[in-house]
Amino acid sequence: MNRKVPLAVCFIFGVVMFIQYFSQHPTARFVYKSILDYWQIIFAFTLILGIISFVNNNISQIKRGNNTFYRIVAISGFLIMPVVALGWGIKTGSPFMWMFENVQAPMQSTVFALLAFFVASASYRGFRARSIPATILLLSALIILLSRSNIGGIFSDYLPNIADWIRNYPSMSARRAILIGIGLGSLTTSLRVIIGIERTWLGKD
Amino acid sequence: MKHLKSRHWIFLGLFLVIGITMILNVKLNVRVSPYTQKMFDYIDSLPPGSILLISFDHEASSLPEIRPLALAVLRHAFKKDLRLIGVSLLSEGTVIGYRLMQKTAKEYHKVYGKDYVYLGFRPQYVAAILSMGESLKETYPQDYLGNKYDQLNLLKSVKNYNNIDAVISIADGSLTTHWIEYGHGRYGVKILGAVTAAMVTTYDPYLASGQMYAMTGGLRGAAEYEELLKISGGGARGMLAQSSAHLYVIFLIIVGNLSYFITKRKGRK
Repeated sequence: MNRKVPLAVCFIFGVVMFIQYFSQHPTARFVYKSILDYWQIIFAFTLILGIISFVNNNISQIKRGNNTFYRIVAISGFLIMPVVALGWGIKTGSPFMWMFENVQAPMQSTVFALLAFFVASASYRGFRARSIPATILLLSALIILLSRSNIGGIFSDYLPNIADWIRNYPSMSARRAILIGIGLGSLTTSLRVIIGIERTWLGKD
Repeated sequence: MKHLKSRHWIFLGLFLVIGITMILNVKLNVRVSPYTQKMFDYIDSLPPGSILLISFDHEASSLPEIRPLALAVLRHAFKKDLRLIGVSLLSEGTVIGYRLMQKTAKEYHKVYGKDYVYLGFRPQYVAAILSMGESLKETYPQDYLGNKYDQLNLLKSVKNYNNIDAVISIADGSLTTHWIEYGHGRYGVKILGAVTAAMVTTYDPYLASGQMYAMTGGLRGAAEYEELLKISGGGARGMLAQSSAHLYVIFLIIVGNLSYFITKRKGRK
């Protein structure tokens, strides 16, 4: 029963969504719109699940004394933002907006910017011409980097054209092959899930 | 000083290279790419009053790269007297999008509700895109500020994508793909992208096939857009930092490879 009901629900919704795509009948439109509404409602519930999981995980780690200070900061941030949003609103000049612009956004940007330092270090250590494919990759990367860094036009005008060629032919053909593979893979997996051949999403029991 | 490892010197070098270049304020020679030119030409060709839906599909972490790009596109749209509807498919992009629209609208003396509106965030991006294709009013009964849909003048003539000239997805990830697959694929709305540099090659196949109409990407795209608009902004400044970092990385790759080959030769001997 635990497996049959979800499989039946999945099959019915899969077939209904497939059929409605080809129909303009008012009933089909109504079903489609209702499913779109419920889809968003279900997703909103997953956000609640994420919140509960975040709080539970941090509280249990605090009890164990694992990174207590950082976890208190995380929970404080989690509590403060909704409180100030509910208390003073989210308009310009509100404490919520101030905290978002002066605390959250700069912190996230700073963490993201650290990537540049790691890329610089990795380029020195890892980007080596050890084989012919590695050398081709290295040369392509150098051309792309140079074409994107044309300070004062110090490099040749041909450089952006070569970089565009790399982007439009070798890079795009590889990307297209990947996209077609993903598309075919998604299609077959969806069909297997709808028909009930693929059951791993149900869990073990 | 003796505790410093090679990677620490590399970090210090990067900091100095970017810092010095920014202080010297080297003049950039920006060559406008055909990609950015197409995006600019499309927005420029729209008659005043045309409606664009701007989707802020990014997070705060990519703000230094996304902000100049978003500002350039918004400035162009307001300068051309286009009407803008702002939405966000990521919760973090909601506040950012609202602030960016508010800032640029103020510069061009635009009125909220008449020249632009901000509808805010809706969860589950695929469902939100499909739902807007059916009815914008049912997807967003209220705007971000709590005003009812029917109270906003701009929205009175907007039912769904049929009443919108194009969607511009300002994104740092793959959300533009969903706009292409569901917005364009199912409802035929024109999709334009203003994306981070790392995502540009992801969208190249869609651009070449015409599923995506135009795209501009990264700080370079922002700098090019600023060049076309003849304004100075964060794009050119950011491009300066990025270019100097690129040159530094190229230098490190060359030094790394030279030391690799020298070590290899010594090993053979």
